[in-house]
Formats: sequence, C-alpha cells, structure tokens
Amino acid sequence: MDHLAYLDAGSGSLIVQAVIGGVAGVAVAAKLYWRRLTSRFRRQPSKQD
Amino acid sequence: MVAPPPPVPTTPTTEPESVPRADPGSFRDPANRVLHVGGQVFRGLGQQAAEDWRALAGAEFFDRLRADGKICGTETVDPETLPASLAGQWATVLRHERIPFVSYPYEWSFAMLRDAALLHLEILRTAVPAGFTTKDGSAYNLQWRGAEPCFIDIGSFEPARDGEPWAGYRQFCQTLLYPLLLQAHLGLDFQPWLRSRIDGIEAGELRKLFGGTRRFRAGVLKHVHLHDAIQSRYAAASTGTVRAELKDAGFSRELVLATLRGLEKLVGRLDWQPPASHWSGYRETCTYSAADREVKERFVAEALAEPNRSRLVLDLGANDGTYSRLAAGYADYVVAVESDPAVVDQLYRRLRADGERRVLPLVMDLADPSPGGGWRGVERGSFATRAEADAVLALAVVHHLAIGRNVPLPEVVDWLVGLLAADSGGRLVVEFVHPDDPMAARLLANKPAGLFPDYHREEFERLLGQRCEIVRRLELPSGTRTLYLGTPRG
Repeated sequence: MDHLAYLDAGSGSLIVQAVIGGVAGVAVAAKLYWRRLTSRFRRQPSKQD
Repeated sequence: MVAPPPPVPTTPTTEPESVPRADPGSFRDPANRVLHVGGQVFRGLGQQAAEDWRALAGAEFFDRLRADGKICGTETVDPETLPASLAGQWATVLRHERIPFVSYPYEWSFAMLRDAALLHLEILRTAVPAGFTTKDGSAYNLQWRGAEPCFIDIGSFEPARDGEPWAGYRQFCQTLLYPLLLQAHLGLDFQPWLRSRIDGIEAGELRKLFGGTRRFRAGVLKHVHLHDAIQSRYAAASTGTVRAELKDAGFSRELVLATLRGLEKLVGRLDWQPPASHWSGYRETCTYSAADREVKERFVAEALAEPNRSRLVLDLGANDGTYSRLAAGYADYVVAVESDPAVVDQLYRRLRADGERRVLPLVMDLADPSPGGGWRGVERGSFATRAEADAVLALAVVHHLAIGRNVPLPEVVDWLVGLLAADSGGRLVVEFVHPDDPMAARLLANKPAGLFPDYHREEFERLLGQRCEIVRRLELPSGTRTLYLGTPRG
C-alpha cells in the first residue's frame, strides 16, 4: 500500500512507542530486539558464502 | 503510486484578501493545500487525500467530533467554486469554517497549550478505534474560537494501517508535550522556545535540562530520556524498515491506544501556577480608583457601541480582560493581547470556564510582536499581517511603550493607527497616562531625568490629532489619565 507519510516519523520515535506501551509493548519491543539480534547471527554465514 | 498535485503559486500574506492565494503555511503535506479566496477558506485535495476524505466524511466518529465543535466545520463544494488560477489541480475541494483570528502556539498560555494537546489526543483516541489516524501530531493542527480549541487539519486524517505506531508522536512531543514539561516541571515559559523553532523542542535538548533527580518528574524518563536514547541509537535506521519490523514483532492498534491513554493521563496531570510573589508584585502595578474604572468602562462601551458593530477588536495590554469582555458585547471577536504569560493563563482559564467563544487571549510583548516565521518568513504570519482590526483598545499601554521601552511617542501612535484595517472606518480608543500619574512616575524614576521631554499630554494629543480625528476626549476623575476616541484620517 502506498504511504503518503509526508512526515519523517523518526525511527526511534516509532520504536519508543512499543517500549512505553505497557506490558504488551515491552513484549513487542523484546521481540523486536531479539529478532534484530538473531538476524545478525543468521546473516553472517550467508556473507561468508 | 499517486503523484502529488502540482505546486500552487503562493503570494505573500500582505496581499489583500480578495486575491486568491494558497496559504503559505500549508505546503508541508503535498497531498492537500489550504486556499484563501475572498475571505473564505478552502482546501484542495489530491487523488489520495480525496479518497481519504470520502472515507472520513462517512465515519460516525468524525461527524460526532464535528458536531461537538471539536473539529472545524468542513463541507465538500463544487471544485468550480475556486477561481481559475487555483482550480483544475484538485480532485476534491472542501470549504472550512473560517477561524476568526489565526494564532500560533508561541502566543498561547500554558493552559491553552495543554487544552490543545488534550484535544489532539482525544481526537486521535476517538479516530483510532474507527480505523483512522492522523499523519502528524503538531500543535499547529489546532486553532481557537475564543477560549475553545478546535482541530483544523482535516488533511491530517488517513486510514490507519494495522501494526503501525503513530507517525505524529515525535511531532506531538516536540510541539506540545515538551513545551508543557518545560513549564510544568521547571517553571520556564515555553513561548520563546516555540517561537524560535518551528519544529519545536528536540528530545536531546530537553534531556540536558532534565538531569539528576529531575529525570524522575512525570513523563520525563519515558518521553524525554528514553525517547532521545532510542532516537540516537536508531538514527541510521529508515522508518520504513522499522515500521516493517515493528509489525512483524506484533505491534498492534491496542498499543497505539495504550500510548494515547498514557499521554492523555500525563498531559492532564501537568499543571503550572506562577509563584505567589508574582501576583503580589503584579497587583501594585494596576491601581485604579473605583471612580476611574467606572468612567473608563462607560467611555469604552460608548466608543465601541457606535456607529456599527466591529468585526475584530484588538485589546492591547488586556490585563485581566475586563475591557475585552466588555468589547465582546459590541464586536464579533476580540483578541486580548497581554505580555505576562501568568495573567493570560488566568484569563484563559476564566474564559474557558465561562465557555467564552468571542475572546481569544494571547501572550505577546507589544514591544516585540510575533514576527513572521518558518520558510521564507511567511509560513507563520507576523502579528502585523494578521491584525487588521476594526477597533483597537490601548488602555494604560502607551506609557509602557514610550517610557518603559523607549519607543518614540510618534511611533507608538503610528503603530496603533496602523493596526486598523484600511477603510474599515476603524476606531482607536487610547488612554494617555500623564507623567505625574503614580504608574508613569514609577517608570520615569527608572530612567535618567529629562530623557522623555516630549512625554506629555499636549504632545500626545498633537500627534494623535495629526493621524486621527479626535472624536471624544475625557479626563478620568483621578486627573492623571486621559482617554481618547479617534478615527483615522483618510
């Protein structure tokens, strides 16, 4: 879908909304960080190929 | 992909109202544009914005907010309504209710900014469950009908996409939440910050002011410190990637609502009262005998009662708003300008409690009125370009400018007369405080003797007489103040 987001919402300002959103938000933030962390390890072998 | 509509030529705000023009402050979202034609306000919508509007216009929540006056009056009109110079580029054209006097957040008091913030949050909290969001979160999305805030940026609504946070959160923080934190927690006036920065206060700047135990004040740790830390950490990440990652991680509409509820609770709790010493010092500067007050009120009422009703009255140095309220009986709208933010705040709270929709209180130093701001200095209009009044009240204000601020007396008179709209048959009601009046004497005592040899009644009367026909003059019972009613000479 086309985004007409004329405003730069700010990456940090989007993420912080998960962290401040209470317990459910913390779960989302934890998942986000976990995926970012694991994706780093996942990518490494493909780089060496 | 929808191509944005072609750009519209803008003309400076000093053009007469009859010249159709695009609003110089509405270019940021290319999907739509505010247009002024003959005193009416239109909004041109591009293809995507027109689709969003059709969805919005059919939404129950939008109708309810509009009926409650929380969103400015808006209707679809025939695009042919626009003159040829502006027509042809918009899929849909809307007509908006006209806001009687456009003002900016740096002219509002603390409680005004807080009520504006609460309205923005309420509108979004109502829109989100209905499947809508706002693209931004700016304080400039709001305007006033007297002491009642109203959301004006209809172009900001768009259908919400599941799994996405609020795009306007950062802007909300910068233009609404941070200025409120600054004043509520540190007692600093926020107006100069907003006036000098069109995009508001950055998290990183505010963080420096909230070190030590101050970081534990309400809202600071999360919305300032954490926000800034995460912003710095993800400075290089694109918002597109982050949006996708958040969606994958399970970000939901419920989380948007939780953020909004948290913000509403926080903003509702923020308050500011000036120190008690402020008021004790203040009272000493406004001494009037009951007899003076009564005569003055009658003079002002009679001056405004004839010959016809004023559209816009400016009350300069409005103080507690006594004369603004009086003027509202004879005018469609009154703008009460006062330099003391605490006085304006108290006036606003009273007007709001009374449901007053004809008096707009504003914070502004008359010796330093709001300049033009933003892109090319016209994105936000200067006070001078907005203030085209039918009547000007300048009660107990000339001595503050002429003695307190050293403004030459002829310039003070020129400025007052210049605030009246051309050929409106305008009226100037001005009070001259004689040099021997206790208030003028106190100001003079702070300046070297003999600095203002021309500050006397005869000279003021001569200057006023050059520029105005003096319709009436009246010395107050105290014998140290004179009131004048003048009408500008052709």
